[in-house]
Amino acid sequence: MKKILLLICLLITGSKIFAQQNYYSQPISKDLLYGANAVIRDEETSVEVKDLTDVVYRVKKVITILNKNGDNMAPIVVEHDKFKAVKSIKGEIYNAVGTRTGKFSESNFEDVSGYDGFSLFNDFKIKHYTPATEGYPYTIAYEIEYQFKQTLFFYDWEPARVSLAVENATYTFTCKPDFNIRYKEMHLPEKGQVTTNSSGQTVYSWRLTNIKAFRSEPFGEAHLPKVKISPQSFSYGGMKGAFTTWQDLGKWEYDHLLINRDQLSPETVTHVQEMVANITDPKEKAKKIYEYMQQRTHYVSVQIGIGGFQPFLAADVDQLNYGDCKGLVNYTHALLKAVGIESYYCVVTAGKTQKTSMMKDFPGMNQGNHAILCLPFKNDTTWAECTSQTIPFGYLGDFTDDRAVLAVTPDGGKLMHTPKYSADDNLRSRKAEFVIGDDGKLSGTMVTIFKGTDYENREKALTDNNTDRIKGLKSAYAINNVTFESVDFKEDKSPHPAITESLKLSASDFATTSDGRFNFPVNPVNRLNTTLREVRNRVSDVHIIRGYTIYDEITYTLPKGYHLDSKTIDINIDKPFGNYTATLTLNGNQLIYKRKSQLKQGTFSGDTYQDMVDFFQTVYDADSYNVSLVKNN
Amino acid sequence: MKKTLLFLFILSGISKILLAQNFEYGKASQQEIDMKQYDKDTSANAVVLNEFGSAQINVSYDNAIRLTYEYHVKIKIFNHRGFGHGTVYIPVRNNEDNNLSDDVNNISGITTYKDDNGATQVEELDTKKIYKTRDYKYQSTLKFAMPALHDGCVIEYRYIIITPFFEHFHSWQFQSNIPKVNSEYNALIPGFWQFNIALRGPLKLTKTETGVESNCFSAGGSKAGCVKLVYGMKDIPAFIAEEYMTSPKNYLSALNFDLIEYTNPYTGVKTKVTEEWKDIDAGLKNSQRFGDQLRKKDFVKDHIPPSILNITDTTEKAKAIYKWVQGYFKWNNYEGIYCDAGIKKAFETHNGGISEINLTLVTALNAVGIKTEAVLLSTREHGFITKLFPSIGDFNYVIAHFTAGGKSYLLDATDVELPFGILPLKCLNDQGRAFSMNEPSYWITLEAKQSRTITCSIDLTLQDDGKLKGTINRFSMSYEAFLRRKTIKKYNTIDDYVDFVAEHLHKIKIIKSNIANADSLDVPVEETYNIEVDASGNLDKDKLVLNPYILDKVNVNPFKLNERNYPVDMGMPSDVRFIINIHVPPQYTVENNIHDQNIQLANNGGRFLTTFTNDNNNIIFSSEVALNKSIFKPEEYAALKDFFNRMIIAEKTELVFHKKS
Repeated sequence: MKKILLLICLLITGSKIFAQQNYYSQPISKDLLYGANAVIRDEETSVEVKDLTDVVYRVKKVITILNKNGDNMAPIVVEHDKFKAVKSIKGEIYNAVGTRTGKFSESNFEDVSGYDGFSLFNDFKIKHYTPATEGYPYTIAYEIEYQFKQTLFFYDWEPARVSLAVENATYTFTCKPDFNIRYKEMHLPEKGQVTTNSSGQTVYSWRLTNIKAFRSEPFGEAHLPKVKISPQSFSYGGMKGAFTTWQDLGKWEYDHLLINRDQLSPETVTHVQEMVANITDPKEKAKKIYEYMQQRTHYVSVQIGIGGFQPFLAADVDQLNYGDCKGLVNYTHALLKAVGIESYYCVVTAGKTQKTSMMKDFPGMNQGNHAILCLPFKNDTTWAECTSQTIPFGYLGDFTDDRAVLAVTPDGGKLMHTPKYSADDNLRSRKAEFVIGDDGKLSGTMVTIFKGTDYENREKALTDNNTDRIKGLKSAYAINNVTFESVDFKEDKSPHPAITESLKLSASDFATTSDGRFNFPVNPVNRLNTTLREVRNRVSDVHIIRGYTIYDEITYTLPKGYHLDSKTIDINIDKPFGNYTATLTLNGNQLIYKRKSQLKQGTFSGDTYQDMVDFFQTVYDADSYNVSLVKNN
Repeated sequence: MKKTLLFLFILSGISKILLAQNFEYGKASQQEIDMKQYDKDTSANAVVLNEFGSAQINVSYDNAIRLTYEYHVKIKIFNHRGFGHGTVYIPVRNNEDNNLSDDVNNISGITTYKDDNGATQVEELDTKKIYKTRDYKYQSTLKFAMPALHDGCVIEYRYIIITPFFEHFHSWQFQSNIPKVNSEYNALIPGFWQFNIALRGPLKLTKTETGVESNCFSAGGSKAGCVKLVYGMKDIPAFIAEEYMTSPKNYLSALNFDLIEYTNPYTGVKTKVTEEWKDIDAGLKNSQRFGDQLRKKDFVKDHIPPSILNITDTTEKAKAIYKWVQGYFKWNNYEGIYCDAGIKKAFETHNGGISEINLTLVTALNAVGIKTEAVLLSTREHGFITKLFPSIGDFNYVIAHFTAGGKSYLLDATDVELPFGILPLKCLNDQGRAFSMNEPSYWITLEAKQSRTITCSIDLTLQDDGKLKGTINRFSMSYEAFLRRKTIKKYNTIDDYVDFVAEHLHKIKIIKSNIANADSLDVPVEETYNIEVDASGNLDKDKLVLNPYILDKVNVNPFKLNERNYPVDMGMPSDVRFIINIHVPPQYTVENNIHDQNIQLANNGGRFLTTFTNDNNNIIFSSEVALNKSIFKPEEYAALKDFFNRMIIAEKTELVFHKKS
């Protein structure tokens, strides 16, 4: 019976993708629907390495979009460039009851330039198409075949996503027995298998079934199942190579992508040599060179050819005064070389909200998205971010801190670790002297020092024009009616920089009156303004990726003829992940508020989360403490 | 606000003038190089020192008529924050078949800067480093980054665009987000073409000259003289944007050209382009991508579910059609009044632009006998339409309009969550032009009969343990109901939405919740929360403190400028009111009264009203914030800002309860 139906089905609809299964009306299990906006019903990814410059990559995918929020998983975006050609695309759309409502092929796709969000120009292109049908859920089934002309890297296999569940997904990697690969399995419920097929090829295969949708959790990391594959021998853009270690890969990168790209014109070499001629300390020399690079370049990203991996020529950057991160790092390296200082071009995965290290046990070319420079001074390894015009020499900030990076040196690659900013380093300390007038007006001075990653958060204000500065201050210190009478920033531009912000401010009606009383918040400048949400069934550990410490001390001189009609406070909470103290004391007509809050970097068990919710709630409550002043009788 | 310059291009009687000359290329003066700041606006990171453009219709080498547009600018960049002005984007348009496109020529650029030794250096733009990207079907972009940018450098670049789309005579933006010292535009228009020219924005021209040049154009044996127009402005301030504004284009000073009439130089045939609305009406009617689509009544009718056809009540029938169209299509994010793929294709793919979807709606309503018009409009982002003369060029959106039972309905079927008769905010932009196949078009006001309305009632009882227990009932109505639904739908489940609400309620626990009408688009969304408030959290153990503004409190004043020279446009009126009733048991006293507030905006523009009563067993506090107008003029800005300020202070008020010992 079933067979006959199937046959009829085939006859009517012609070549249905995945015709053997009817995904379009079959229910999805409740478990998979929980927290999902879409479900992958079936996905088959296959890679076949025919030779070093010919790889066939096929994806067959059936995905059911459950609701409007899932619509963002419907668009099909196909990247292509000179290493990656699209061979064919075809697909179909099914509505809620499983009726096919549309078909599409490559001709439906619009072909436009690729855009990565920051580059002026990229030489990859994308074809895109968004299948649609009436109502929800709907199902898209499609098949894409690409040809890759390189074997330096393969895409990671990672079918699950946040809010995307997976019913069934497979990955097969087929190659000749002499094509050696290394693979890494991450968060996989079952291990892969290695077999030999009838043509004698080696077949690696993995399978995922019934993977629930991941939900994003505060202070959590989604551990998505993933398989990474790296070749041993490869070909890329006419260049051949082989690697099994970071050392090998770094050596290849140095020899093929970096070598001789650090040549500068004799004039430039002479110029920089003269510039540092009177400086003896190598680190001071390097600082001078770095500042020279900063003031004469800026960041413009242009990615052409093997531009994704290879920097512009240093001489080009010297002439154009712009480059991307690779170009600027290579240029700085070249300038340093001209004055006899050694430096390494380093590949890093940059990101403020995640610290991603190069995998120690799994070298591969598709790790890293940014370049920085390392200066290996003896016992004083120094790092430089080359895309900023303003930050001090030796300062990295939270974009690339505390993670393993690949230093590409003439002797090969080596993994190095960038500096960490501890809770004590990321310091904000504030002291304010305020007077409350008998009209409720607040006036006084406030001095705040910003250090560590907090330095960078405040750094932008230094070059803001006056209008933007005031705007920024008004949102940083959201005191109603606040006006800033004077604003001053002082910058300590050492490798451990600091900014001192001195403000003279006033705010009318700061203390609001009701019934002859003055009410005002004791902590108007550094209130925690959100609490943590409750999370049911939390799965991930608590990760605090960066700590901080904030000190506040505010002294209020109270108006004559008034006394305090609220209790003073003394709060002290100490938890493994952080601590908080707040005290309010009265000394004559001076009300003194002191606050310290600290969060510590670390990984804590998932149960700790509830503790954090309570901690933040307590801090929130304590921060919103209001006091009343009453006129003396 | 708007100033118009209407020119009749009479070729006699105007004295001959010389076209102003473009300023010399590649010469940055010592003074410009030494300049440390722009004295008229010391906060500027960059300033346009000089800007010159010219446009003229002429005949190209292959005997085709083209518009030649030349652009030349010189910019002083004070610091690295102004470096963005050194990256240049030139849009390149093309037609449907991509066999006609803008042709960009002669790009050149030069940067003048002081080197480390204080000597002046120049660096030219390498034309090999100009990149072209394909953006979408009708457009590519040429991009380049100026070389050798240094703090204090002067950049200069110029280019020429020869375009076959000469009917879209190049407009000129006098104002931008950096100040300009001087900006000038020249236009040379042969007598075969007539344009309406309009100046938009509050700034005044400092230079206007007109003249003629005889025999400046010849094609196909016919010759014509040209009108020469010179427009200039000096000392143009930077434009600063703030919240609650429609498109900056409405307020930026610019010069726009619209073609009214032309004579084909080869045949001598005169064509009126858009002189009168009847011409535009006819054009739309005959357009394959507009009128033809509206004629597909039979095709559309075949798709309408039969159950709808049986409905007899007109409004009910219209609602059913609207709901069907809303559900059938997904919007592909394309705007525009003309269909791209057409209704038939859209039916096939369930996917279409604004035009496909809403013209389907118009056609479907007409097909079932409900007389419906298509209303052309320009969205808030897109800017105002000119009312000075008929013009089709400004419209970018189309919706449906019909009248039943004396009520007029405006419909947009491109968003599945919009209730019947409610328009999205983006459409609430002055007026639209109602068009039908057999009657003249007319203006229709888009000021909606919708508002953002919230009413909320809270009933709490103070418990002996210091907690307040009770219920919140919040009704979101009209446009607010639409926004509320959008927020609810962002979450996969109602529970997730309630979690989101709970996150914003500090010290308040939601014990039970019920959200009614999240899916019934035409009634208010009703949220009910059983809550428990912990009022003791304020560290002073004997006192309980409660801010009665539990929901919908305004914390930040959106108006921060000292003055604003364009209107505040909120799109629609709003009204937020709540009443809170607190039952106070005998063991508690209420320490304070909340003073009644009554803050009014002039001319009934808005009010903030609160009342408070306390009979020792019961406290009743009510509050209303109403903004009765959609638009507040620049002269009303200070009052509006102050209104918000006073309201924010008043909303900080707290009730203090004291337990008798």
